[in-house]
Amino acid sequence: MPSIGEQTPGGRFRRQPGVSGGGSLRYAEFVLLAALVAVPALSRDAFFVDRIGRFLLLAVFALSVDLIWGYGAMFTFGQAAFFGGAGYVAGMLTTREEWILPVPLGVALVAAVAGSALLALAISYFTFSGRGALRGVEFAVVTLAVAVALERLANAGGSITGGQNGILITSRLGPFHRGHSFYLLAAAVVVVTYLGLKRYLRSRPGLVFRGIGQNEERVELLGYDVPRNKRWTFVLSGAIAGLAGALFYVHEGIVSPAAVGVGSSTLVLLWVVLGGRGTLIGPVVGAVALPFLTARLSGTLLDTWLVVVGVILVVVILVIPAGIFGFLAREKTP
Amino acid sequence: MRRRNLVVGGLVLALVGAACGGNGDAGDDTPIKIGIIADLTGPFTTYGTSLSRSAQLAIKEINEAGGIDGRQVEVIVEDIQTDVAATVDKARKLVQSDDVDLVMGPIGSDANDAAYQEVVQNGGKLLFYTETYEGGKCDELYFSFGAVPAQQIRPLIPILQAEYGTNAMLFGADYVWPRRSFEIAKPIIEEGGGAVVSELYLPLVAEDFSELVQEVRDTQPDYIFSLYPAVWGAALKALDDAGLMDTAGVGTIFLGDPDYVGIADLAEGSYTALPFFTVADGAGVQPFLEAYAAEFGAGQIPSGGEGVGAYNAVWLYKQAVEQAGTTDPAAVAEAMVGQTYDGPTGQVEMMPSHHLKQTINLVQAQNGQYALVESFPNMDPEEDCSL
Repeated sequence: MPSIGEQTPGGRFRRQPGVSGGGSLRYAEFVLLAALVAVPALSRDAFFVDRIGRFLLLAVFALSVDLIWGYGAMFTFGQAAFFGGAGYVAGMLTTREEWILPVPLGVALVAAVAGSALLALAISYFTFSGRGALRGVEFAVVTLAVAVALERLANAGGSITGGQNGILITSRLGPFHRGHSFYLLAAAVVVVTYLGLKRYLRSRPGLVFRGIGQNEERVELLGYDVPRNKRWTFVLSGAIAGLAGALFYVHEGIVSPAAVGVGSSTLVLLWVVLGGRGTLIGPVVGAVALPFLTARLSGTLLDTWLVVVGVILVVVILVIPAGIFGFLAREKTP
Repeated sequence: MRRRNLVVGGLVLALVGAACGGNGDAGDDTPIKIGIIADLTGPFTTYGTSLSRSAQLAIKEINEAGGIDGRQVEVIVEDIQTDVAATVDKARKLVQSDDVDLVMGPIGSDANDAAYQEVVQNGGKLLFYTETYEGGKCDELYFSFGAVPAQQIRPLIPILQAEYGTNAMLFGADYVWPRRSFEIAKPIIEEGGGAVVSELYLPLVAEDFSELVQEVRDTQPDYIFSLYPAVWGAALKALDDAGLMDTAGVGTIFLGDPDYVGIADLAEGSYTALPFFTVADGAGVQPFLEAYAAEFGAGQIPSGGEGVGAYNAVWLYKQAVEQAGTTDPAAVAEAMVGQTYDGPTGQVEMMPSHHLKQTINLVQAQNGQYALVESFPNMDPEEDCSL
């Protein structure tokens, strides 16, 4: 895929595992992405196609984590705040009957994405700026606190958030609400996000961000505005998670406190780790494969599925800590 | 290089295989299909397991006796993992892919909302909810078989008032079930000449009970009526540590046998009202327990409401299908109302409100064991859902 990035001076990053992968993985990842998107659509089972469509939105969620964690070394325990938070915003704006509410779904979706981006911006002001800039574990703890706080807020929100029962969302995604057409929508979102991130990571700000991920001090000493770069990449990540979350929960028809909680935030990390963080294809595959495995096994191996999934995870992480695609990409890197 | 291609190729193949495997079965609809969405993992494992097993026990007995209207019953169990998203996914699978005739479950109120939306509103199928809950749900295709607040509160409050005094403290987890139950309890408490001196809600899983301790010290209730199910042992421990356990009696409507066993020391003396206990005196209780243990292993017992609720629900469904002569959801729903069945704890009857009139048992924890205080047959759910 030719892109502006390849002509920039930073083009030498190109052969690193992150963006393009080594050797044949470069093409293989597009083959896989195309297969992932195209093959399920061939099934005539509307439920199956719909289910994979949900997982594709989870893949977008995973991409938003991979962007900041996989490339910028910003480990987050609270990404569900953006994903589930957008679900809550979409739910509240389309179902509550006060003031100018309810608003049409389109408006609510835009507001949900904007809300997640703003939340990310707000967090970034407290974490990346000035002398007290937070890194590593400190940043992770802040994101964890945000997730915990939002889950409590959702639980205690009474008639505004629906408390523990959450919000039943009755809006429909128009002609894209179910089955194959929903799948096409989800597939479009994942492909656009994927290609967009690929392009971003080869652009100048993207290269700076990846530099920050490898050695923040050095990038700072070179004169780049590190807090600013981190802030806007984090906002981008929040907005992507928000878009995926808003669509996911409208399709889901219900959003409840677990959506914004630590559990959801942790699950997405597993998908990213399994697939391979710092590759784009890895988290996409992880976010489809693991939920699919879980959904399948929890209907067949009722007593043992949790152990089976756990063992698979432990084995993968022990044998190939870089994840499936991290391993594949690294194998042939010069 | 070669190894890599192999792995990539394998992944693509797996994907194709999964897609083909996803093509659900279309064709033989001779057996009647019952789908169960149960919490078999996660915090509600005890209840989800009871629900799933009790339903399967009834289905097995029905199949051995010739099925429903001569048709065998096929059961499809899905684990919803005490998770709303999984509930939505599994409910859709059962409705759209498996095309079941009936969905049973789940446990949590939030999951019930999700299941109701998918099964009844979007799917047009029957949903049988078998858990103790706050009541109030009302739909042509929705039926409740667990206890609802009025059924449990009417037997419980008078004995607490007689034993301990007039002043009640209402202590609950902060969600819809405790809140609605307490609204129903208040007039019943006042009818008995009592008063509510305190009403306190804490988060579902609180880490700190100093507020509870302080409230009990300040208001000095004669008894605490608790709807604090998730970590009730921790709350009791806090009261015990503060030396307050002897100052007030305790009544609950959630502490079934399996939950009680773990906190028997702390719960000594407390009263509990639920449809089912192993010490209940219905003629069918021992046979039910024996059949359950024979099927699922010695020592296995169904929990306080969802087990017997699911068991009754399957038998009532059989009767309704046979009366309607079809599995069409609307026709079965119509036939369900007024249906009676002699269940393990006595006769049950499906009311026009789609909630179940049933026996409620009241027990007290004495010397580390539940002892039956009284059995209350034919307790009316008092739900006003007119369809």
